[in-house]
Amino acid sequence: MSKITLENVSYVYGEGTPFEMHALRDVSFSIRENAVTGLIGHTGSGKSTLVQLFNGLTRPMAGRVLLDGADIWEKPKQIKQIRFRVGLVMQYPEYQLFEETVRADIAFGPKNMGLPADEIEARVREAAELVGLDEALLDHSPFDLSGGEKRRVAIAGIIAMRPEVLVLDEPAAGLDPRGRDRILTQVREYQRRSGATVVIVSHSMEDMARFCDDIVVLARGELVMQGKTDEVFAHADRLAQVGLNIPEISRVCAMLRARGIPMDEGIFTVDAAARCLERLLGATDGEGASTR
Amino acid sequence: MSQPFIHTEHLSYSYEDGADAKQMPVLHDVSLDVARGEYIAIIGHNGSGKSTFAKLLNLVLEPTDGKILIDGQDITSPDMTDDDLLALRRKVGMVFQNPDNQLVATVVEEDIAFGPENLGVPSAEIRARVDEALAAVGMTEYARHEPHRLSGGQKQRVAIAGIIAMMPDCMIFDESTAMLDPLGRREVLEVMERLHRERGITVITITHHMDEAARADRIVVLDDGRVLRDGTPEQIFSEPELLMEIGLDVPQSAALVHRLRKAGLSLDGEVGTPEACVETICRAFAAREHNTLVNG
Repeated sequence: MSKITLENVSYVYGEGTPFEMHALRDVSFSIRENAVTGLIGHTGSGKSTLVQLFNGLTRPMAGRVLLDGADIWEKPKQIKQIRFRVGLVMQYPEYQLFEETVRADIAFGPKNMGLPADEIEARVREAAELVGLDEALLDHSPFDLSGGEKRRVAIAGIIAMRPEVLVLDEPAAGLDPRGRDRILTQVREYQRRSGATVVIVSHSMEDMARFCDDIVVLARGELVMQGKTDEVFAHADRLAQVGLNIPEISRVCAMLRARGIPMDEGIFTVDAAARCLERLLGATDGEGASTR
Repeated sequence: MSQPFIHTEHLSYSYEDGADAKQMPVLHDVSLDVARGEYIAIIGHNGSGKSTFAKLLNLVLEPTDGKILIDGQDITSPDMTDDDLLALRRKVGMVFQNPDNQLVATVVEEDIAFGPENLGVPSAEIRARVDEALAAVGMTEYARHEPHRLSGGQKQRVAIAGIIAMMPDCMIFDESTAMLDPLGRREVLEVMERLHRERGITVITITHHMDEAARADRIVVLDDGRVLRDGTPEQIFSEPELLMEIGLDVPQSAALVHRLRKAGLSLDGEVGTPEACVETICRAFAAREHNTLVNG
């Protein structure tokens, strides 16, 4: 089932001025329910415009955005309801914290939804736990926390609204490897537990290959590819053509193929590459290859 | 061996926690030598002390204990004058993480002139230095542009040019690629490596991207304020378990070779970068073919 569907969506910045820029051109695709979808593309490919269309922060100039099959702009006055259902975590969201305590910051969204106090408190705790924030931190000022912790507070603030769709724009940017894995694992876990639909925007193909079920590829405001993660990364050449990176391991495999080594197509994890090479190298191993 | 360009001796740094006036240690007993013209990456998880170490090297922070010699001069000595400090900052330049926080002027070339102007460089020479610095980072055509309209990678290149114009011996990149997209990262890496290669500038890069660290001549691993490892990328990335344990990882290329070695395959050669990894694997195929021919 598709959770969000874009039908022939276009968006132009500065229309009719010398700065006119087509951010999106006639884009149509769907985001699968109950899955993690990765959105990839260069800076300027239209990704950020797209995520703002998902929750009605911007309105398409042509085409429709459907949530559960219904046009989100059918009743423009109720667009706020859509923003509770589609939660957007922007880039570097830790710069948007502003409350005096972590608790108050996470509670901001649920409060705006008009929920009763005990419900808000329950959601704050649940969201904090989900992103791995210690309960003791709830009474601290968010500004005393480390960068990674602040980021998790910001994500918890969106999760506390229990959105049906959670959209994260570069959630791991600037974090160290542990912080990055932690946040992405927690997002996966949130998806699994809540059954929500998750969309992640990232430049890291390695992360996308590891954490996403589906991938959508954009270039210059147009849809290039869409499919299951392995299907999309199987077309590494196509990705390279539109100037996108491919996971380092896929690049290694392509280079090996160019050197005449018959690596399988469509490898995008270290595991798969290792299995393939063990098979190729191990075939006549035994007495042979140990030259060390 | 000639005198190291940077020499630190039992360097420690701690700060006082505002709330309960407790001493919070950040760096312990770090003794390191960096040769002139080296290209070093410093890796470590958040809070491992790597940025602190960098900030001590040009006295943005002052050490709590220990000694730092730059080019033979003890910069931790109480005899350091303001002029000495200025000379030090000229010699050791820093590029920071956020491209939006480092530019001060409203025109690119004025921003680059800011450093040499402060150093009292004569204006005719400033012009020459600015032009040269712009060329060095490939931003000549943007000389009259407004910095805030540039991309992240371009802003970082302007920040780098501002330092180049002061003719430094050493440049420290403190997570300077962390906030950039892949294109911006590539631009900054290219400029950084060219400065090292063509001008012999000593480069110290602090990064969370293991694939960037793999390109350096040497990697220093910091963990909880101590030097945990110091070696070539080959040596450092041959211990993936250790790196994982301290919250880091290894580039996928290195992880692949490591996996194959664990599976009992014999692979000799370097592993840090994709290119090195491909060479190493191709060599194993060649060896296998050779053995098949020899042994039938």
